[in-house]
Amino acid sequence: MWSFSDIANNLHQWLYANVGSTWATVIEMVLAGIAVITLFAVLGLVLVLMERKVSAWMQIRLGPNRVGPKGMLQSFADTLKLMVKEGFTPGGADKFLFNFAPYLSIIVAMLLMAPIAFAKNFQLWNINIGVLYISAISSISVISILMAGWASNNKYSLVGAMRSGAQIVSYELSAGLSVITIVVLAGSLNIPDIIHSQANGWWIFKGHIPVLIAFVIFIIAVTAETNRAPFDMAEAESELTAGFHTEYSGMKFALFFLAEYVNVFIVCAIGATLFLGGWMPLHIGSWEGFNRVMDYIPSSLWFFGKIFLLIFLIMWFRWSFPRLRIDQLLNLEWKYLLPISMINLLLATVMAIGGWHF
Amino acid sequence: MNGNTIIFYMLAALAMVSGLLAVTSRQIFRAAVFLLFSLIGVAGLYFWMEYNFIAAVQIVVYVGGITVLIIFSIFLTQQAGELLPKQKAGRQLMAALAAFCGFALVLLQVLQHNFKITVQQPAPDMTAIGTQMMGIDEWGYALPFEVISILLLAALVGCIVIALPAPKEEAGAGI
Amino acid sequence: MFLKTYIKDIYTGVTSLLKGMRRTGYYFTHHKEIITQQYPDNRATLNLPERFKGEVVMTHDTNNEHACTGCTACELACPNATIKIITKFDITPEGKKKKAIDKFVYHLELCTMCNLCVEACPTGAIKMDQTFEHSVFDRSRLTKILNQPGSKIREGVE
Repeated sequence: MWSFSDIANNLHQWLYANVGSTWATVIEMVLAGIAVITLFAVLGLVLVLMERKVSAWMQIRLGPNRVGPKGMLQSFADTLKLMVKEGFTPGGADKFLFNFAPYLSIIVAMLLMAPIAFAKNFQLWNINIGVLYISAISSISVISILMAGWASNNKYSLVGAMRSGAQIVSYELSAGLSVITIVVLAGSLNIPDIIHSQANGWWIFKGHIPVLIAFVIFIIAVTAETNRAPFDMAEAESELTAGFHTEYSGMKFALFFLAEYVNVFIVCAIGATLFLGGWMPLHIGSWEGFNRVMDYIPSSLWFFGKIFLLIFLIMWFRWSFPRLRIDQLLNLEWKYLLPISMINLLLATVMAIGGWHF
Repeated sequence: MNGNTIIFYMLAALAMVSGLLAVTSRQIFRAAVFLLFSLIGVAGLYFWMEYNFIAAVQIVVYVGGITVLIIFSIFLTQQAGELLPKQKAGRQLMAALAAFCGFALVLLQVLQHNFKITVQQPAPDMTAIGTQMMGIDEWGYALPFEVISILLLAALVGCIVIALPAPKEEAGAGI
Repeated sequence: MFLKTYIKDIYTGVTSLLKGMRRTGYYFTHHKEIITQQYPDNRATLNLPERFKGEVVMTHDTNNEHACTGCTACELACPNATIKIITKFDITPEGKKKKAIDKFVYHLELCTMCNLCVEACPTGAIKMDQTFEHSVFDRSRLTKILNQPGSKIREGVE
């Protein structure tokens, strides 16, 4: 049975045997880049359509249903429209920063793809501090938003950027603390190690209540970090037209839009890795037959299934809840999520020391 | 010159050029952004040396923390969008002199130091870093860690005291 | 005490959010609830809600008689002068003069479908219809005369 890791290994050996190590490295880098860009394009198309369909069905509407069968080609049409649109730079804008900001946001999203394990033994970069790397790099993404908001030279953009900055800086804390809960239990920052620690059961099942609380806090905090409703204060349409990307059009807007969806994908991938066992199939205790059947499903399918489950959950939030005000937002973080996650971390540590998880 | 060296020079160029631009830019926000790139270049050098932990900490502390704080304070400042005034020639000269002195000092050290070429050591294990940080034996950092914690706690308490609303005047105190 | 309200806040917050998610989740899984009308695909089977208002019409019975006395209550009730009633005087068989409408002028382009004229009418002569395909090439064609030519007031309506 073929798998992603076999393909990658065979390609690696073939390249080293035929073109020498330097060129092999260069070719592998290019291939990895192409793979990531392809994944981005596919994700953009799929997630935008998914969002529109989910939102429509939750609001008792039909959603896109004209372009292609059942509206499946709607996002291709949207992409075509965005590509042929003029990328306009306003007169008073800081040209360099204005044009650079969307690229920075997409570069950050690409860097975050590196340590994610998409399937069994299939990972771009097996870095020993995987989880820390992700939380470090994702803190750069706020800079692109601040940059875009400032360079637009527009008060809505600036207010949006300020809100977004305050929001991301505060919610990073509780997201980080809930990630640390799992790091404490797994005893490693390395992503394959964390996944292997869940071979006999995912952390959300093994870890009792502390992990459940950490999971809920993680989902809330990453929803805020990716600037999605109900925490979409940075781009609140009804107050700030579009927040930090008010002045953007054409492909530059599309890059911000794509980066938002890719970031949702990435945080869901991290959530799936930490709490739902990454590419590990679902095993239940000693049901041998059941476990055997589950093993036949490819590991990449397991991983993408879990990611899309979490993405659906985040979309469900978006289309159910009203937007928070800035004071409510900061209250929620500093008065509720942060103290709870700190106490929760303490509980998880006691549990890890006592070895009370399964 | 192999790929490794090329990457080193690219990262070094990024750090140095953006550092220079940060100093010479007359728009304060741009200066902050170039400072950010310079710090990212340094983090890239750490990644290049495979000291991933230090690189990640560099990004978390300097890029995610300090630069964002600087940018916030720029946003909250009046007339932050205007060009900074040109400095007087005397001041520019003094600044250049100070920078040159610092550079000369570092260069002197670098040239005098006898660098030994070592074989590539494996990057330190995260567990080792963690135990060292909390260790109380000879090379442990538990005491400095706790001292800094108390300093930060004092700073936090101070912030809260400053941010507290002023106590209300007693009823009938001022007529 | 503080802790009690704190925990209560969290509990009520989470339960109310879950209630909202239950509702949207119900709609997500029950596609029969979808209310979108795919006009003009379903033009023949269009299902308009009861309270949908398209334009003001005057009802006429089979004898080409209406119930409008020309009292101008609708004209006075209209907030933006959509209705203009031009009256005339009929001579009754007894030789008396009687006020009646000549033209009931209705400016559809000004109408906001607020229903105030229908509520003001003492005799129920006008009502809201559900036709809505009003587009024409010339604005003047939106000015309509609601009473049919040759119609007269129904017997017994005062």
